[in-house]
Amino acid sequence: MKRAAMLIVLLWCAMASGMVRVVTTLPELADFTRQIGGDKVKVDFIVRGDQNPHFVEVKPSYMMKLKSADVFLTIGMDLEMWAPQIVDGSRNSSLSVVDLSQAINKLEVPARVDASLGDVHRFGNPHYWLDPRNVRPMMEEIVEALAKVSPGDEGLFRANANAYLKNLDTRIAGWEQTMKPFAGKKVVTFHKSWTYFASWLKLDVAGEVEPKPGIAPSPSHTVEIIDLVRSAGVKAIIVEPFYDLAAPDQIGRATGAKVLQLPTSIGGVDQATDYIALIDYDVRTLAEALR
Amino acid sequence: MRQLRTGVAVLIIAASFIPARVFAQASVNPDISVIPRFVVTSDDGGDVNRGKRKFSQPDFQFQELELAIQSYLNPFSRADIIMTLPGPDIEAGKLGIEEAYATVFRGLPFDLNLRFGKYRAEFGKLNTMHPHAWPFISAPLSEEKFFGESLNDLGMSASILLPTGEVYTKLTVDLLRGGSIGDATGIADTTGRKPTYANSARLMSFFTLSDESDLEVGLSGYTGIHDPYNRERFWYGNLDFKYKYRSSAYTSLVVQGEYLANTRKAMQDRTLHQFVNASDVPEERRISTSGAYIYADLQFMKIYSIGSRYDWTESPYSKDDGGHGVAIFAGFYPVEETLGLRLEYANMTHLTAGISQNVNSVALQVLFSLGPHKAHPF
Repeated sequence: MKRAAMLIVLLWCAMASGMVRVVTTLPELADFTRQIGGDKVKVDFIVRGDQNPHFVEVKPSYMMKLKSADVFLTIGMDLEMWAPQIVDGSRNSSLSVVDLSQAINKLEVPARVDASLGDVHRFGNPHYWLDPRNVRPMMEEIVEALAKVSPGDEGLFRANANAYLKNLDTRIAGWEQTMKPFAGKKVVTFHKSWTYFASWLKLDVAGEVEPKPGIAPSPSHTVEIIDLVRSAGVKAIIVEPFYDLAAPDQIGRATGAKVLQLPTSIGGVDQATDYIALIDYDVRTLAEALR
Repeated sequence: MRQLRTGVAVLIIAASFIPARVFAQASVNPDISVIPRFVVTSDDGGDVNRGKRKFSQPDFQFQELELAIQSYLNPFSRADIIMTLPGPDIEAGKLGIEEAYATVFRGLPFDLNLRFGKYRAEFGKLNTMHPHAWPFISAPLSEEKFFGESLNDLGMSASILLPTGEVYTKLTVDLLRGGSIGDATGIADTTGRKPTYANSARLMSFFTLSDESDLEVGLSGYTGIHDPYNRERFWYGNLDFKYKYRSSAYTSLVVQGEYLANTRKAMQDRTLHQFVNASDVPEERRISTSGAYIYADLQFMKIYSIGSRYDWTESPYSKDDGGHGVAIFAGFYPVEETLGLRLEYANMTHLTAGISQNVNSVALQVLFSLGPHKAHPF
């Protein structure tokens, strides 16, 4: 009986140690990792879909998540300025921190950065995951990171990634078809989160509700945006679920433009249950508003 | 195996302090931030002894300037230098070292974390926070009475995470020089003897109660020689908690409190006044006193905050010295923490040798912050 119990414990330990333990900053990255790793990975993430990923309080509980992890996946480009404190606090010497932005074609890389420009990211706009064509280089990085920890499973990881990307390519074609009639349409966004999304779908971001990135809307800037929405015929104002709706609603009431709460992350709305559902929700909701 | 571990630890610590040029690293500038604080104050305590209550003319004062230089030294360690120019004389004041320490946070056996230098010891919750990060302007009375400004000393600390499952539990132990046992805590050491040393320790746990709320509780101790002439020792015990409820990025509620208990044997008080019994014979006394504060701070619409604090305290040497009172405070932070305005009204009763004096005060604080802003720790 004792031997059997010991055998079970040993087997459990062997199985547990065979899994790659991954923590990601955003739930999208956790979704990609699950798709690639299947039951070979144990995945957790830090930022909920209804939270602003720019501002995360450094909690000891996040350090505990990283303490026993093998890999920590980040968006990079200074989106998660809070991440180094969590990594240092985890005391995990063997943790591999992977920045998934390495192979991304970066947009809005500023020539200069200072506080007068607001919260500008010095390495460029970091919201690249909202262009699904960027999932391929991200998944490539994830496969490599997982394979370093579990080299024997690299083939499986690659096969899973390819199967997911094949399905995603089909969905991308569908989404592009849905949005084709709206190419060149102007939208207003709350924050510069939608640059890659708009670039992919050939939408024109006419302005932002924030006067500068990270700076709360001011009355004078709101008046300017109202004028802009009227003159440019903007039909939709896109707001992430974690921003205050007061200024966008004011613009919407004054102009008749629709205020859309579009999630940038899984869990931002109930329907966004995984990455494909997230982009699908955003595309369908926007297409409906622009019709 | 044990020798090997010790050897590895020594190598990592040694490597942490080897100058960067040995590795031919590219030159990387450290993060530099500057936070000046100014305050306009007025109170009605000036003429209370003469039976008059009249607010003094508001006085615009320089409170403090903090210069922080922080960076990684190498993959295993980082350094923090915090310099302060204390007020109120902005022109004659001298920039001094408030903290200067290196922390080895990675690569040591048992995930040990080591710190060397001069730093705010991890005693209680408020002590590790710099005053510009407090939501109020005035320090709690118990902090003033039992520490003067803060428990900030030369020394070294070691901390370890305890195996408590999903709950983050950290034990920190400090060996300190004892230089922080100053006027408030002990008798000024003019004996010229070797340092008497002090020790502090804190055990803290962090509990995630829900997606929106977290609780941190801590138990701290601090001991040292408060009377170098008679080698008398004091003991502080401290219980602290911080609860935070964050319903959205725009709204949060913090409730934080600490209770400090002091016990010591003493032949004399800190003014070197000898304790005597009824027959005028010198005697040693056991003094047990305590102090506490609790505050609540509500952040709303992201840029505003309002809160209240209750203080109650005795002093390290007497139950007849202390105070109690209430502070009400509000904050306005238009663009994160780059610029802040705080307003505080306090009604405090100060007890000196059993005689109480009630003082009302109003303060308006302006602070701004240049340089990178780190994410806020819980």
